[in-house]
Amino acid sequence: MLVSWKWLKDFVDIRLTPEELVDRLTMAGLEVESLQENVPSFTGVVVSKILSVRPHPGADKCFICEVTTGDAKYPVVCSAGNIRPGNVVPLAKVGATIPGGYTIRTSKIKGEVSEGMLCSEEELGIGSDASGVMILSEHLSPGADLASALDLKDVVLDIGITPNRADCLSIAGIAREIAAITGSPFSYPRISLPERGEDIHGITSVDILDPDLCPRYSARVIKNVTIAPSPLWLRRRLEAVGMRAINNVVDITNYVMMELGQPLHAFDHRFLEEGRIVVRRSRAEEKFTSLDEKERVLRPDTIMICDGVKPVAIGGVMGGLNSEVKEDTETILLESAYFDPSSIRKSAKWLGMNTDAAFRFGRGVDPEGVIRALDRAAQLMAEIAGGTVCKGHIDQYPKKVETAGRIPLRIERVNDILGTRIGEAEITETLKRIGMLIEKEQEGHYRVTPPTYRVDITREIDLIEEVARLHGYDCIPVTIPPVSVKPVIRDSREVAKDRIREILRGSGYSEVITYSFISPSAVDCLLLRADDARRNLVKIENPLTEDQAVMRTTLIYSLLETMKKNANVGCTDLKVFEIGRVFFQRREGELPCEKEQLGCLLTGMRSDHLWSSKTYADFFDLKGCVENIFDSLKISEIRFMHDYRETFLHPGKSCGIFIGDQPVGYAGEVHPDVLVKMDLKNRAYVLEIDLELLLRNFKDVTLYRELPRFPMVLRDVAFVVDEGLHAAGVIDLAMSAGKELLENVSVFDIYSGKSVPHGRKSLGLRFTYRASDRTLTDDEVNVLHNKIVKSVVEKTGAKIRGEEH
Amino acid sequence: MLKELEELQRQAEAELSSAKTEGEFLAVRTRYLGRKGLLTRLLRNIGNVEEEKRPLFGMRCNEIKEAISGKIDTALAKLASLRREEVLLRDKVDVTLPGRTHRYGRVHPITRVRQEICSIFAGLGFSVVEGPEVELDYYNFEALNIPKDHPARDMQDTFYIEDNIVLRTHTSPVQIRVMEKQRPPVRILSPGRVYRPDSDISHTPMFHQIEGLLVDKGITFADLKGVLTSFLKQLFGEDTALRFRPSFFPFTEPSAEVDIRCVMCSGSGCRVCGQSGWLEILGSGMVDPEVFKNVAYDPEEVTGFAFGLGLERIAMLKFGISDIRLFFENDRRFLEQF
Repeated sequence: MLVSWKWLKDFVDIRLTPEELVDRLTMAGLEVESLQENVPSFTGVVVSKILSVRPHPGADKCFICEVTTGDAKYPVVCSAGNIRPGNVVPLAKVGATIPGGYTIRTSKIKGEVSEGMLCSEEELGIGSDASGVMILSEHLSPGADLASALDLKDVVLDIGITPNRADCLSIAGIAREIAAITGSPFSYPRISLPERGEDIHGITSVDILDPDLCPRYSARVIKNVTIAPSPLWLRRRLEAVGMRAINNVVDITNYVMMELGQPLHAFDHRFLEEGRIVVRRSRAEEKFTSLDEKERVLRPDTIMICDGVKPVAIGGVMGGLNSEVKEDTETILLESAYFDPSSIRKSAKWLGMNTDAAFRFGRGVDPEGVIRALDRAAQLMAEIAGGTVCKGHIDQYPKKVETAGRIPLRIERVNDILGTRIGEAEITETLKRIGMLIEKEQEGHYRVTPPTYRVDITREIDLIEEVARLHGYDCIPVTIPPVSVKPVIRDSREVAKDRIREILRGSGYSEVITYSFISPSAVDCLLLRADDARRNLVKIENPLTEDQAVMRTTLIYSLLETMKKNANVGCTDLKVFEIGRVFFQRREGELPCEKEQLGCLLTGMRSDHLWSSKTYADFFDLKGCVENIFDSLKISEIRFMHDYRETFLHPGKSCGIFIGDQPVGYAGEVHPDVLVKMDLKNRAYVLEIDLELLLRNFKDVTLYRELPRFPMVLRDVAFVVDEGLHAAGVIDLAMSAGKELLENVSVFDIYSGKSVPHGRKSLGLRFTYRASDRTLTDDEVNVLHNKIVKSVVEKTGAKIRGEEH
Repeated sequence: MLKELEELQRQAEAELSSAKTEGEFLAVRTRYLGRKGLLTRLLRNIGNVEEEKRPLFGMRCNEIKEAISGKIDTALAKLASLRREEVLLRDKVDVTLPGRTHRYGRVHPITRVRQEICSIFAGLGFSVVEGPEVELDYYNFEALNIPKDHPARDMQDTFYIEDNIVLRTHTSPVQIRVMEKQRPPVRILSPGRVYRPDSDISHTPMFHQIEGLLVDKGITFADLKGVLTSFLKQLFGEDTALRFRPSFFPFTEPSAEVDIRCVMCSGSGCRVCGQSGWLEILGSGMVDPEVFKNVAYDPEEVTGFAFGLGLERIAMLKFGISDIRLFFENDRRFLEQF
């Protein structure tokens, strides 16, 4: 909220610099977000008096004025028609600067010398009136600097008001707070109301049909007002706090709202049928055209201000077009009311009309401040708009607005919560400073009644907060609670996730974080089958954009998008991973199923060093990284199964990843059709693993196995087998035939081509033999090895390479 | 004869000192020490020497032979070693070419900050728990003392899945979930993704928070100050100045916003801190009694404090990043800076 320094000083004497005040307010919970000095954007402009005005002999629409600044006289050529001798006006002297970067110089206008310029409000950047030269008060003395004569300098604070502090949504509210912080006295503006003529009760009446929505409605009638622009001081104050001036009557209602925090509304009384006010709740599907000329359909239970026949305003939100104050308005019915905050919030939200009035009613205005604001505005309408305030006012208050009272407060509790030793006297004095009524019940026990504008204070803890705030958070000690004796055991899942990050980092993969929401079309891009569970998307009702409209069910799409973004900036080599959740829709009303997944993507060159290696990464680079992860998590029962199919993966270069019989994920090359759909150029390899399932098998235990004491014996053999036969199958056969002396079988070569028959491949295997208790002899190994080779040959139809014939 | 011998040595040494190539050294050897060499010949003619001088002559002959031979061997070995070096040098690499390595990957800056914060709090006895990202309205709002239509709901816009299901707008619902299941004392930290419909240079619709909660008998606002002071000094440095100022959160009271001295300008005022010299770092406060009632804790029995902070903000300050959106664009050139 914008707050004018000068305006504040109407209520409280501030003996601080603006910077000091900023600090004090901020440390008391009214965070000052910015401080801006409003200084006039002109220099060298003084007050002058017009001595004479005569027509310009050479220019039809111009005049030659002689003006005085007291000690000197200047001829000035001017084209404004509103000046008369005797007028006091602003004179921009030669050398003066005015907004827009103009510097005033002596000039000759059609043969006549002009030593300066008479300015309009708009030319000086003071206000918006550009209709003629600004006419100043006759009390200003010629020669005086205009900026000081008009007291144009001000400081504007932008204060962030937290939702609980409805009482601070006004200049008076902030001033009250400053008074409490600094100890200066606070006083409301003095209101003196010259009531004259007719009694209000003879002119109008107010009926509240729904007191639950409108517990209080007060009104005054002001006759004979003249609608005109507001005086400069009022317009400048409104503009300082960010409001636009409209006309004197409307400006006064806004001014009093900003000043006292009570929104008001001015009706043109002649448009009120039967001349009276009825407050009721809206009817089903009721329509209404508000001041902004929009027809709105109201939600049920909207507060409607009506005349004897029809609605004339949406209570607490906005007035109606049909009863608006117009240029020829003469009689004003002024409304000052208290509306149910919750109802106002609902209506404002429903209508999308968070007006200044709705904002304040919604947070809760002072139910006992209604009449003060009514009288203040009536007074200003008499003073500024020349109105006659009719005798008396209407105050329908059928339902007392309950505010908290006699809240118990224990001194001991204050210090227990804060960790302080604040004395009883300081606590009670502090609360008194902010208008609380204190009754002592017994030693250390009090009853506290907050002022009616502090609608946020209803409980002991609220009082404790006030004490803390005004005592100063700075003055509260700094202590460390005893650390619990229970040791902190790091969650094994966290440990495992960090280990996965380490492994992937070491393998060259960088971590990415992508949005959890994706485009609903992602599932089509990935060619997912109609019955794929990943089509059970969780939809966002109010997404920011369509491509962030559903929660993702796979990380792959986001990773492919990351690849695309990088390709667009020239990074075609990419190794990335993400650890994030996927979401599956369950029944309505039920929270979705959330699963944490690991996803990796690999594309482009295997290495950054083109000079050294120009090979592209492939499936086995990715698989190697999966193996590393499982190895580091001590999960050994990992299997890669080719017959597990993902629609978005290359059918020949992909596999399911299993722990025992449980599928935990998949890896493979992205299907070329998916690349086309996503407009990607390069091959990419992806994997996705369900971390929940993976981590279930993780045991954070390392057990040392003794190193072998006897040497190993190696035997190599190349089997020529069907191309479709999996290496793992052959190795499994060999291992099961080998029993305990065969320690390991590994692939040392894969070859197909010349010298290998078409449709077959040569699979070179290295057999490692070792006994744990002795050195194996060659003969012993040969016998065993031949037996194993023979068994493999029999079971697979393999030939031994070099012995095919 | 002896004189002739000495002369021969001088000659040989002179020739050796001018010899450069292997061939020249070998020629010297042949010339003096070969089968028909000058020295060999002299020795063969020892019979011509007077008898009493013969032993001396023989000894000198041998001495000279060994001296020459030794010098030649040394010279030849040196030449051989030089030649080998020459051969090796022909197999030279360009050491300025980049090393051959698999580049290591990087952990996302947000993860880095999260790990650092979690480890600081682990030292203060806080353990990590997680909660759902798609959350019931009850946990995200109502149990945290933010009823429907409450003005505090204006503080944050929300993504809705259904009327009563939202994308969590903060990590605070984890407080409730933990307290519902666990009796005090509670010391937890809960990092995770949160969502709000906002998108500009300082907002992304998804971002990260860490929530902390400590509940026990006799926990005070002074303890809150102590724990958070210790944390922020570990995170930003022992000399970091900080201030606690009153604020409002529906689920804590009294509430405090914690600022640190601007890391960019050290307090003199700059664009990053909006000229104030201070940076908002986290929100905190004593757990509101209403919240305790919602999880069936007795607020007269236990007290506690909670705090929450945004990881992006911390990362932006630590690494000098000015656009929050960079964290989620995942540009390789960005990621590889961490």
